[in-house]
Amino acid sequence: MKNEPTAELNRRSFLKGGSISTLMSLIGAVELKRETPAQEIAGVTIQAEPKVNCAVIGLGSWGREIVQTLSVLKDANVMAVCDPYPSSLRRGGAAAPKAEKLEDYRKILENKDIKAVVLATPSHKHREIAIEALSAGKHVYCEAPLAHTMEDARAIAQAARKAYKQVFQPGLQLRSDSQRHFLLGFIRAGAMGRPVMVRSQWHKKQSWRFASPNLDRERDLNWRLNRPTSSGLIGEIGIHQVDATSWYLNGNPVAVTGFGAVHHWRDGRDVPDTVQAIFEYPNDVNLMYDATLANSFDSAMDIFYGTDSAIMVREDKAWMFKEVDAPLLGWEVYAAKRSFYNETGIALVANATKLSAQGVAEQKAKDFTDTPLNSALAAFLVNSRLMGTAVEDFVANYGEDEEGLKEYLADMEKNKNPAAGYREGYEAAVSVIKANEAILGKRRIVLEPDWYDLG
Amino acid sequence: MKSKYTWMKRSLAAWLALVLMVPLLQAETWMRYQSRPGSKLKIEGTSTVHDWTVEGGIISGFMELESNFPLDSTAAVPESAKLNAKVEVVVPVKTLKSGKTLMDEVMMGAMNEEKFKQIQYKIESISIKTRKQGSAPEFEAKGSLTICGVTRPNSMSVTFEKVSDTRLKVTGETPLKMSDFGITPPAPAIGLGLIKTSDDVKVVFEWITALRK
Repeated sequence: MKNEPTAELNRRSFLKGGSISTLMSLIGAVELKRETPAQEIAGVTIQAEPKVNCAVIGLGSWGREIVQTLSVLKDANVMAVCDPYPSSLRRGGAAAPKAEKLEDYRKILENKDIKAVVLATPSHKHREIAIEALSAGKHVYCEAPLAHTMEDARAIAQAARKAYKQVFQPGLQLRSDSQRHFLLGFIRAGAMGRPVMVRSQWHKKQSWRFASPNLDRERDLNWRLNRPTSSGLIGEIGIHQVDATSWYLNGNPVAVTGFGAVHHWRDGRDVPDTVQAIFEYPNDVNLMYDATLANSFDSAMDIFYGTDSAIMVREDKAWMFKEVDAPLLGWEVYAAKRSFYNETGIALVANATKLSAQGVAEQKAKDFTDTPLNSALAAFLVNSRLMGTAVEDFVANYGEDEEGLKEYLADMEKNKNPAAGYREGYEAAVSVIKANEAILGKRRIVLEPDWYDLG
Repeated sequence: MKSKYTWMKRSLAAWLALVLMVPLLQAETWMRYQSRPGSKLKIEGTSTVHDWTVEGGIISGFMELESNFPLDSTAAVPESAKLNAKVEVVVPVKTLKSGKTLMDEVMMGAMNEEKFKQIQYKIESISIKTRKQGSAPEFEAKGSLTICGVTRPNSMSVTFEKVSDTRLKVTGETPLKMSDFGITPPAPAIGLGLIKTSDDVKVVFEWITALRK
């Protein structure tokens, strides 16, 4: 597609081609890599869990990514896809040939066989559909941010809280990513010492604008570029990195200061193509964030700085840079027993037999299978099935007993795959919606504890 | 006279019958307890890599106890007394969870859940096992346990605890061998090695029941 705004004019693919990991290990970085989970089991009879009947509403570029990811997930049975725009529907439905193609999402909500819906419409259209889907008894995966306004985000989160028999998962996909969970263990165990500061960035050279045949379509398609419908780069992109920081630091930001401007894409848009924001977290730890559509240098990354080491995360890889005075940690002893790492850095991998995981040969991520979105949607399907059958089992054995069921479902939490819930979705939305306000007003906003409270 | 005598004899017989029957009637007063939410079932096992636990939160069924059943330490029932109880319990196999989808799928496969959807227990007799001053007695329950369609006799220790006026918690545990019920302990080949699951498991439960009025 000529007009695809995701076509990048950047160094990212160059960096991917050359090996960052090789470079990093030369300068003394410690690579942190999760174990690759087993996919197949020989020697046992497996009774596979039934697939989850699901549907995707909203088939823009991200909606298509979702349909393609669902098409490779063993737990998904995509029964319907929906978009009011015929060409999007046709294009988006291509990866799910058996799915019914619908222009009206209400037909999905009326279909009792569909248990779960993934919502990838423009953010400002989430509220109505998400709340209707929840009241129709569907499990809902709602893309991040939940909404572009506090009011909408709050209404969605409250509806999700009320629908206690269903799964509600915001699209904060990193919360389901096994590599991020692997790193969380290091950070919580104090491997970087006391947190000092965090730096995150997202740099791309792309317009963020889709070509459209007429004015109506232009408004529908380029909702990200208009202030009334957009929470800007910080809301649409930064939310994932801000949420990951809140997660790792175990708290929400207490204040945010922002700056933003249109530097390059002067096409009439009023949403900045370049933003900076400083998020103040408890204990005087700040996150410095910047995102731009005008320069792609150094792509996207997060660096967590601590008194003993810094941890840098790029895509699905991470490295630890230790200070010389940092104490010896337990896992280094573990790593040192392995026989195939080089002198300049200790490569830590749980699955030590895979040299590729050491950065010796860069492992190419398989499309749609080895992504955080894949983990997040897999978690959504597994959790939806778990909740659905738990409710059925409970009612079949004990009848209607709301208190008992709530207790039973609370106990079921430990069997769920890790995923963000309505609370994380809401809190992350509050942080970035207010950050966007700060960016547009070039000012500091104190984030009142009340704003995070769902009442 | 004859008729009066006959009447007296009859009324005496009726009175005697009544007097004799009262304890019998009393003895046949049963308390019926029905399963309520809040139960916990845990299966603990080991393997060559790590110990594992499977948990369930649904124990369905009922229990009927004779009204003189010694539920607490103050009950004046001799240890030798014959106790009467009817117990039937059902646990849906698919409610057992390990917290890992893959392990659940292996377990459901090993237990052939598609065919044998329930674990069933039926009591045959119950007697007091030990009795300590000031605490509720421990009982020995003998019954039959059906897993994967195979029924085996089972003997286990159980205790009763009144958690409220109407609620009764039954706690117990029993060791089992998977192979006794025709289950082959799963031995998945993952990565480089073969994981062998031990045949021996321990079942621990807390069954919440409530008196049906």
